[in-house]
Amino acid sequence: MDHQGTPVSPPLGGSQTGYLDNAAATRLDERVLEAMRPYLFETYAVATSEFGYSMGIEARESLDRARTSLAGRLGSTGAEEFVFTSGSTESSNMAIKGVAMALGEKKGKHLITSRIEDFPVLNTMAALSRAGYRVDVLDVDGQGLLDPAAVEKAISPDTILVSVQHANQEIGTVQDIESIAKICREKGVLFHTDATHSFTRLPLDVGRVPVDLVTVAAHTIHGPKGTGGLYIRQGTSLTKWMDGGFQEFNRRAGVEDIPAAIGFATAAELVTDDENTRLGGLRDLLMDKVLHGIPYTTLNGHPSRRLPQNANITFHYVEGESITLHLDMRGFSVSTGSACFSRSLEASHVIMGIGGDHERAHGSVRFTFGRYNTRADVDAVVENVAEVVAELRVISPLAPKD
Amino acid sequence: MAECKVDVCGKTCPQPLVEFRRAVRQTAPGDIIEVTGTHPESKKEIPLAVKALKLELLSVEEEGGKWTIKVRR
Repeated sequence: MDHQGTPVSPPLGGSQTGYLDNAAATRLDERVLEAMRPYLFETYAVATSEFGYSMGIEARESLDRARTSLAGRLGSTGAEEFVFTSGSTESSNMAIKGVAMALGEKKGKHLITSRIEDFPVLNTMAALSRAGYRVDVLDVDGQGLLDPAAVEKAISPDTILVSVQHANQEIGTVQDIESIAKICREKGVLFHTDATHSFTRLPLDVGRVPVDLVTVAAHTIHGPKGTGGLYIRQGTSLTKWMDGGFQEFNRRAGVEDIPAAIGFATAAELVTDDENTRLGGLRDLLMDKVLHGIPYTTLNGHPSRRLPQNANITFHYVEGESITLHLDMRGFSVSTGSACFSRSLEASHVIMGIGGDHERAHGSVRFTFGRYNTRADVDAVVENVAEVVAELRVISPLAPKD
Repeated sequence: MAECKVDVCGKTCPQPLVEFRRAVRQTAPGDIIEVTGTHPESKKEIPLAVKALKLELLSVEEEGGKWTIKVRR
């Protein structure tokens, strides 16, 4: 049931609803919707200047409050350093292409990133590579960590930007972005980080970490889909590429989605340290129960340097798609790094990137927690995944018969 | 009461299960679903799904490497 008592479509045959795919999307928090509602029905004007009409001025002030709140969450005191976008994909495109356009002719055409970035960064880099930029894609270790020394070594006089994520979308590994940012600062290279999955879940203070550009999004923290932001440190060279009006300090044209901006700020304000600690507890419980209770399992990612809401485990000798399908029939939503089920039709580049083979990628299952998950969800999903995996191993031609 | 026939001959895991699940979504309780395929693991996997979905397994037959599973929704 949703909060208004409307039945949601029940899973096929399942009676439980264990939604454990919060990295993909989260259920909106009612308090977010309530905060957004007045900006849909009462203060629905576009943001206008002091020379405009009252409703527009009120809209402007509300948008500014949302911006100040989100910038503050990143440790920024200059609200004009935070630009609203349509989400992470736009933010990362805007950051990387914006720097490439600004500095490509002036300074150089060399960019650096890691092998396990999410698609907005990887495919933006690929597009720039086709356009004549030189892109170094750095390897990570078996737990997904990028060595900051490798970044230092890769930087050359024509390097304009390094883009390394804060935490990984699939395996949850948290990078040492502070060291990487400091290296970039020393070398005079701009640094972008994709913090889509870590924003509010892990501390990131731009006052302490000299990062120039940060991608964030609302859909991972019980905010609305289709809204995100880009932190742009004052003075960063960035060419505007969404042309049109002069909104967002002339950084990004288009009518501001004020309800979404208010929703995003509210969503961020609702995430507390206590909640993050609680999610970390659910993650640890799930990892402990699965890795110790189910044979032939491997943790993907780092055991301690990982997102509080993420557990990613390979169940050897079974296909992740099969586990996903069978869990769905039992009422659980999880995702897999296996091939056919993902839209990319390739085994997870992240699992392959940490040195995994196809077998490890195909058997990988990602469990991601959110505000509405409880300990009971962990107990239930572990019990069900144990049964499903055991049943699938019985029919698997690959599984050891013991 | 309708009968829904699904042909997954030549398709391998997890495609037969995906198509079976689609058939379940598109039929009404009481309908008969008949899946025909060749992938040996799917022959064992579909009955697992039938159990998980609390449906009725009517028959599993195999002849010359081709199996047919009949289920009542």
